[in-house]
Amino acid sequence: MSWETVIGLETHVQLSTKTKLFSRASTAFGASPNTNVNLIDCGLPGVLPSVNKEAFYKAIRFGMAIGAHINQTSIFDRKNYFYADLPKGYQITQMDLPIVLGGSIEILNENSSKTINITRAHLEEDAGKSIHDEFEGFSAIDLNRAGTPLLEIVSEPEISSAKEAVAYMKAMHQLVTYLDVSDGNMAQGSLRCDANVSIRKSGDSELGIRTEIKNINSFKFIEKAINFEIKRQIKVLESGEKVTQETRLYDSAKDETRPMRSKEFANDYRYFPEPDLLPVVISNEEMQKIKDEFPELPNEKETRYQNEYGLSSYDAQIIASSKSMADFFESSLTGVKNYSLLANWLIGEISAYLNKELIEIHESKLSSENIAMLINRIDDQTISGKIGKSIFEEMCINGSSPDQIIESKGLKQITDDDSIEKVVDEVIENNSEQVQGFKSGKEKLFGFFVGQVMKKTQGKANPQTVNKILKEKLAK
Amino acid sequence: MSIQFKSITELNELLDNKAISVLELTQESIQLAKKYSELNCFVTLNEENSSNRASAIDRDQKNTSLLSGIPLAQKDLFCTEGLRTTCSSKILSNFIPPYTATVVEKLEDAGSITIGKTNMDEFAMGSSNETSFFGSVHNPWKKGFVPGGSSGGSAAAVAAGIVPAATGTDTGGSIRQPAAHCGITGLKPTYGRISRWGMIAFASSLDQAGPLARSAEDCAILLNSMSGYDSKDTTSLNSDVPNFLENINQSIKGKKIGIIKEFDLSDLDTEVQKRFDESKKAYENLGAEFIEVSLPNISASVPTYYSIAPAECSSNLSRYDGVRFGHRAENTDDLNDLYIKSRSEGFGDEVKRRILIGTYALSAGYYDAYYKKAQQVRRLIKNDFDQVFKSIDLLMTPTSPYTAFKFESKGTQNPVELYLEDLFTISSNLAGLPAISIPHGQVNSLPVGLQLIGNFLREDELLNAAHVFQQNSDFHHAKPNLENFK
Amino acid sequence: MDQETVRTICYLARLEIDQNKSVKIQKDLETIIELIGSLQSIDTFDIEPLYNPLEMTAFKHDDLETSDNKKNKFLENAAESNEDYFLVPRVVE
Repeated sequence: MSWETVIGLETHVQLSTKTKLFSRASTAFGASPNTNVNLIDCGLPGVLPSVNKEAFYKAIRFGMAIGAHINQTSIFDRKNYFYADLPKGYQITQMDLPIVLGGSIEILNENSSKTINITRAHLEEDAGKSIHDEFEGFSAIDLNRAGTPLLEIVSEPEISSAKEAVAYMKAMHQLVTYLDVSDGNMAQGSLRCDANVSIRKSGDSELGIRTEIKNINSFKFIEKAINFEIKRQIKVLESGEKVTQETRLYDSAKDETRPMRSKEFANDYRYFPEPDLLPVVISNEEMQKIKDEFPELPNEKETRYQNEYGLSSYDAQIIASSKSMADFFESSLTGVKNYSLLANWLIGEISAYLNKELIEIHESKLSSENIAMLINRIDDQTISGKIGKSIFEEMCINGSSPDQIIESKGLKQITDDDSIEKVVDEVIENNSEQVQGFKSGKEKLFGFFVGQVMKKTQGKANPQTVNKILKEKLAK
Repeated sequence: MSIQFKSITELNELLDNKAISVLELTQESIQLAKKYSELNCFVTLNEENSSNRASAIDRDQKNTSLLSGIPLAQKDLFCTEGLRTTCSSKILSNFIPPYTATVVEKLEDAGSITIGKTNMDEFAMGSSNETSFFGSVHNPWKKGFVPGGSSGGSAAAVAAGIVPAATGTDTGGSIRQPAAHCGITGLKPTYGRISRWGMIAFASSLDQAGPLARSAEDCAILLNSMSGYDSKDTTSLNSDVPNFLENINQSIKGKKIGIIKEFDLSDLDTEVQKRFDESKKAYENLGAEFIEVSLPNISASVPTYYSIAPAECSSNLSRYDGVRFGHRAENTDDLNDLYIKSRSEGFGDEVKRRILIGTYALSAGYYDAYYKKAQQVRRLIKNDFDQVFKSIDLLMTPTSPYTAFKFESKGTQNPVELYLEDLFTISSNLAGLPAISIPHGQVNSLPVGLQLIGNFLREDELLNAAHVFQQNSDFHHAKPNLENFK
Repeated sequence: MDQETVRTICYLARLEIDQNKSVKIQKDLETIIELIGSLQSIDTFDIEPLYNPLEMTAFKHDDLETSDNKKNKFLENAAESNEDYFLVPRVVE
């Protein structure tokens, strides 16, 4: 029998506001526990929320980018449930009137593209964090994350494989980082998803019973968790049993999903309009302002890079595909004359380094000023491309500027004819045997002479000049 | 010289003339609180801090505001930094807030001194003050009788002359009804007139803070300081606050006062009816005109309220889970057990009842029938008010259908019996309108209150009408005999 | 309303009722439900609910941080905490 997979994703995007959705405490990641917490985030008796404007603007920008309808009047609701890291005993979210309705996202999976429709996207506050394994007998609660603005984006169940789910999340990542809606940092939980997975017989029109895998936070785990779940469900169905509708957790260490114990009781969230917040209205002027300030999207950048900087369509596409790469490219442009050399370096050396280290460019020690300087030094022949690579390696380690490295290590390329001529003369004098050989027709020996000159100049001699002078001298 | 029963204006004059220092006044007020401790109106006295503050004000000699140096009592649901705030609940019996409510901050900025926190119905849920974890409050007029609720401690402290004024909150009548039962004046302002920041929530869309005092004039003095927009409460009103003393004396000749047809007063005690008719006559003598008006949906106020208030309360009280503050049960098996035991030990029966009702009204399948339905009826009730206020200035009703009753005599068998106490007061909370209760005589030696309801943001008209009445009567000067409480 | 419903509501609200009081509570709830059930007779067709008496819209604040670190005071108010965290009985996920 053949089976068909149906997947819907609920993506939680942490919005990159400076402060929380309902309070003015910082949202900075990595602060010491319970320090980014104010009276409101702690849910103390008598406190009241107030709405962060910027969170709305970011949500609207996302909505506009996916061609959704924006509800200019939206209301907040309370979702009531008890959990240790949920300070008020309810989460403030949007139920009936979400800020974003509809829209769609293009995904690219193995060179074919597909449109995934978006049901809705709403604003809500994040909960705090529970740490279960650090203190004997206790779970520890850190409320730093409590109240951080999230945009929950709900897709239609139109995703049909784990690979497509990954492609969807990659498209989502590109979009939210491009829109400056989120930093998209998955390791820090800024982009995570719940996957609703069900299986049905190929051709069936009705959906199978689904399970929800909670809180998956890497592309790799999305693929693994969903694939595990698909296999598990097929096994259940093929043994003639029924899939249980439940919430499951993906355990990456064991590469399996298992039911979540804390979610075993069916809940009744008792949604009702948040009485502490009046309806939030976005004026037409505010909508216009968001449109006017709309950031450039990847395909727009791609075209512009080709037109303005003469990049090949391949180079332009690769650089524009990542927001951080494109940002870096654009900020390195000032002062650089050779744009394609810069592009080559970004796609080649720099990307290779970042991939090896598994970091984003802004997390590395490389600054756009220094990369621009490096490109210029290669371009103006102060150094050779080869020396450039060794300088780059050092820049990666300590972040120093190419000029400093060139200066301190004396790596400046020797380009004046007189100095090179002196070395060439020495080489010819000390290797008369080879000179004889060359002159008698062993032309391959030319490389030997170049090598000797480079060795004596520690590679700093300009290769073109060396070639030119050697040819002249050996012809005599 | 005793400061007991003196008004704010009188005390201000004594301070101005140096007949008494702020410290003496504060200490005397605290002495009175201790002397009448049997009334049980205070949960916590702020003895040391208030004396320090009083001395500082004496030193600074900056008596610029009418409230400067005046001792006040705060209902124990306004957070006071460093001073225990309990909501008269076991669950908060050790809670020391790390911040101060805007209302308290504003009153203290005006120079007043918080001498203590007053007893109340637990989380403001009740009409008799009998649901307090710290015990019932006696009505100063009659031992063993309730002072009304939920601001019962504040009302009793003012009625006993311990402080000239106190703060209260009113969700369905919690300022007006105890004011009526204790023979004092209490004002519930327009929803949004006063910030709710730091005021521990019962039902967010109904709660409003207000003053209780011995006269409308003193209420106006407090209201002047308490009112105003607060960016920390985005449901507070960003509109001008008038000086409520400015027109308080003006004639009410020609004012149109509505009598609500749907409230059948003939069901009431004949003496309560009689007081009402006398006051109507008094207003006519002052030049007011009476018009019978119809508010067709007003009789639905009680069921509407008892659907909305518990729903909001059930959610507002979820934060009391024993995790970050408040009572935590010992020897619990797991997190759920901790929640259940902490909450079950920490809340009293009436609070539990309301949480359960609210949980039920919001639960899947019942939301539309109960909560949403009630909010729809609420709009109908508000529309009725909007309609009548096109042709009248004020509405007049009794504050409560009864006078104060004996401890444990109502609501023990059937809680709804006690809910009907709020019949006349609840509708103004639903519509967000201001309303005042003033004393207008007694029945069987217990005070009776008269309620005036005003249009949106027209506290000035209420205070004016109440003040003019008080200028022409002595009901608000009546003092209880406190011999029994020494 | 039956005892089962009372139990479900109690669980949702994380409250437990003494055995000897549970019949009384059930009766109280029934009385109150009957009271609020009387609203059903009112025609509210097409009536927009009034969730707040202020028919205004929310003020939105700017995304500006105000530091207000009261960590120690927060942790002091908790029944159980260490120098960094609020502590609760261990949760198994």
